[in-house]
Amino acid sequence: MDWVTDFWIPVIKAIVVVLALLVGGAYMTWGERKLCARFQVRYGPNRAGPFGILQPLADAVKAIFKEEIVPHHVDKAIYLMSPGISFAAVLITFAVIPFGPQIDLLGRQIGLWIGDLQVGLLYLLAIAGLGSYGIVLGGWSSNNKYSLLGALRATAQMISYELPMGLALLSVVVLAGTLNLNRIVDFQGQWPLIVWQPLGFLIFFIAILAESNRSPFDLPETENELISGFMTEYGGIKFALYFIAEYTAMVVNSAIVATLFLGGWKWPAVLSNLHPLAGVALFLAKVLVVLFLYVWVRASCPRVRYDKFMRFCWKFLMPLAWVNLAVTAVIVALI
Amino acid sequence: MSTSNPSVHKLQAQFPQAVLGVTDFRGETTVLVRASEIGPICRFLRDDPDLAYDLCLFVSAIDQLHLPNPITSRDGGPCRFVVVYQLFSLKHNRRLRLKAPVPGDPPRIDSVASIWPAADWHERETFDLFGIHFRGHPDLRRILLPHDWVGHPLRKDYPLGGEPVQFTVNRDDPELANLGKQIMDAPTKESDVPPWFSGRPDTMILNVGPQHPATHGVLRIVVELEGERIVNAAPDLGHLHSGFEKTAEHRTYQQFATYPSRMDYVAGMSNDLSYILAVEKLVEAQVPPRANIIRVILLELQRLAAHLIWIGTQTLDLAGTIHALLQYAFREREMILDIFEMVCGARLTTSYFTTGGLRWDVPPAFPTKVREFVDYFEKRLDEYEAMLTHNPIYRSRLEGIAVINAEQAIGLGCTGPVLRGCGIGYDVRKSMPYCGYEEYDFEIPTRPYGDAYSRYQVRVAEMRQSVSIIRQGLEKLKKVGPGPIKDPNRKLTLPPREELETSMEALIHHFKLVTEGFHPPAGEVYSSVENPKGELGFYLVSDGNPRPYRCKIRGPSFSNISALQVMAPGSLFSDLVAMVGSIDITLGEVDR
Repeated sequence: MDWVTDFWIPVIKAIVVVLALLVGGAYMTWGERKLCARFQVRYGPNRAGPFGILQPLADAVKAIFKEEIVPHHVDKAIYLMSPGISFAAVLITFAVIPFGPQIDLLGRQIGLWIGDLQVGLLYLLAIAGLGSYGIVLGGWSSNNKYSLLGALRATAQMISYELPMGLALLSVVVLAGTLNLNRIVDFQGQWPLIVWQPLGFLIFFIAILAESNRSPFDLPETENELISGFMTEYGGIKFALYFIAEYTAMVVNSAIVATLFLGGWKWPAVLSNLHPLAGVALFLAKVLVVLFLYVWVRASCPRVRYDKFMRFCWKFLMPLAWVNLAVTAVIVALI
Repeated sequence: MSTSNPSVHKLQAQFPQAVLGVTDFRGETTVLVRASEIGPICRFLRDDPDLAYDLCLFVSAIDQLHLPNPITSRDGGPCRFVVVYQLFSLKHNRRLRLKAPVPGDPPRIDSVASIWPAADWHERETFDLFGIHFRGHPDLRRILLPHDWVGHPLRKDYPLGGEPVQFTVNRDDPELANLGKQIMDAPTKESDVPPWFSGRPDTMILNVGPQHPATHGVLRIVVELEGERIVNAAPDLGHLHSGFEKTAEHRTYQQFATYPSRMDYVAGMSNDLSYILAVEKLVEAQVPPRANIIRVILLELQRLAAHLIWIGTQTLDLAGTIHALLQYAFREREMILDIFEMVCGARLTTSYFTTGGLRWDVPPAFPTKVREFVDYFEKRLDEYEAMLTHNPIYRSRLEGIAVINAEQAIGLGCTGPVLRGCGIGYDVRKSMPYCGYEEYDFEIPTRPYGDAYSRYQVRVAEMRQSVSIIRQGLEKLKKVGPGPIKDPNRKLTLPPREELETSMEALIHHFKLVTEGFHPPAGEVYSSVENPKGELGFYLVSDGNPRPYRCKIRGPSFSNISALQVMAPGSLFSDLVAMVGSIDITLGEVDR
């Protein structure tokens, strides 16, 4: 066994990626606050550092040093564990996403991905469901009626929305003919999949909005009715962990969208061939575009009511995803 | 017993024994009736097609303890309390006041809650503040004060003064170590859940508020939930009860003028005006035309400001804190508040209106600023509509939600956009015009469906009407030109500063007005305005002294929020926020 290739390089890559995700998640909070502020004719955070750039640091310091309050009436072990589950689930999702080409570093060929899994897409689907455990358990263990309602909503919502999400991904698989994300990116060298799968993209985007509890589908949270729902009883660093998990999930989900539909690091090939790092920059740019979409939707859409949202999923989005898949399959079979 | 109100004769003919007397004062008719007959009389007043007093504006009482000429009971014996019913007939556009002297200790009278559901809460309030018992009331509990309160504060012999502070924290107190545990272990008080809740084992009681982001203040709603479906909902009021009515009894008429804007603090001008109009009616002040025009312009600006808060907060409730509309609405409201600041130096608690006119004239730049704002605002309103009116999510959150039909709304005493959203075009500006509203050309928007979306449409249409009224007001202001802005009657309004140096008489008037206040004649008036939220009325009883003997405030939100009990059952928990938002309440005025 070559220790360097088989152990140290993956470990270093994993550490770098996790750190990058953490910073990305933290700065997503800043980015969202800045963007929302602009949408709302405000300035947003601008006290900590130039353009408020140090705001996430200040927030982190504040959250860490807050008094640790564990309410008397919670199920302590699960209550403390749940934010961790959410957070961990988000981090491991990124493992199969390629964020750049293979580069030549110090005489070694290093692929800019962590795991080149043959069943990468299945892995994504499998992990996506895990995050909901953090929310469901957190809400349940809080022993609070609002949290309970939030947790119940989360359960139903996340299970439901995995179906259209999976179906949208299936149409990608039908087109690309592989479950490996690297191959899918290669497939998009000429044209990104959004060109062939505009509907699939829309369905997938809606599904991940729901999956990551984002407005207008942030029903488990709904600060205006359920008072933050499953997070009501959480404070300090535990709350921060949930929070950063949500924002990191946004980054990760955007990365998935960028990889599956926007051509990953590869498209347009003219740009990504300039330099290996140009591909990484291209990938980042796409992630940022999707992140902007997230915030834009949040600033302009009212929240959907819970029952209507479920109806929308089962009676509209699901059939639509089926039709999309069927049409894609027929066309692929014919050509 | 001559009166201008034709309904009185009919009432007298029907109940010759029970009608004890009729008074006409300032064009208002008060009928004194026998307390024991109050049920049949009220039923007759509501059901007879020639009378049709279908809207019960308020039920309250007067404690006659210090009144020089108290109303006596039938046999001439002393009678401390008089219960007052202020009624309105939508069909005949007519007001009527009933007064029933109630003997006994504790005083008892039959409840009229079965005739006008609106009386339910008003009788609870009267019970709470006066200790009058209403026989046959379905749920006679305190409504504004805590359940364990001792005494009835609006009684004249209720001691004034502070209560000991109970909020000091002693860090050495052993109880403090168990603080979190107390929260779990404290038994639920019996009265926290209304007795009419089903109490089924498969339902959950959820306590919404008083600290809850969507209750628009310190409203508490006790909700009985079956899953996410509401079985019952009961608003619990009084967390912001500040005793405005009691305060009014201890301030001169001019002094109290600064208080009303503190009630519904998002519509200060309208509140001020409602009170001022009542006083002006009492003392028969003559308001110069210029003052009236400026009043109308400011009132309509205030309506815009209040509706802007409503549209912003309603969207906030439905969409979450990040939705941009709240800030847009506040940006526009800011401009209105800037105009208020320019006019009177204050932004929320303006106190700009005074008995007989305005405190001072508006600055010369006022018309230009207002016109600039109105032009700008119309475009912005189009933008809001583009964002909301046809947004499918927004519509799905409002259409068919919080439904109340016209009959229920009238019964519950709902006014303002809530009533107009049910297709009833009742607007005090049209039915009992004040400040010269009869000279303005405007419509009363109504929608027939009675749901939250109808209320949304009504309010948006009202904003457009307000803009048109403001434009007309500006035209009139230009036509009328500069002129007096106050009643010249020196017994009512302060003389100008310059006069004090030359005129002894002016000095005396000034001194008397400031130190003592003016003396209105003994009598009672009810006057109301169309507040952005509905009919806001003041009922003043004068005994000839410079302080009101009794001041009853009829807040629109108080009656409107009682509609929640009708709207909520059967809908989903998420709709609760849409309901509270679409009723549009200000707790300061609900609790007063």
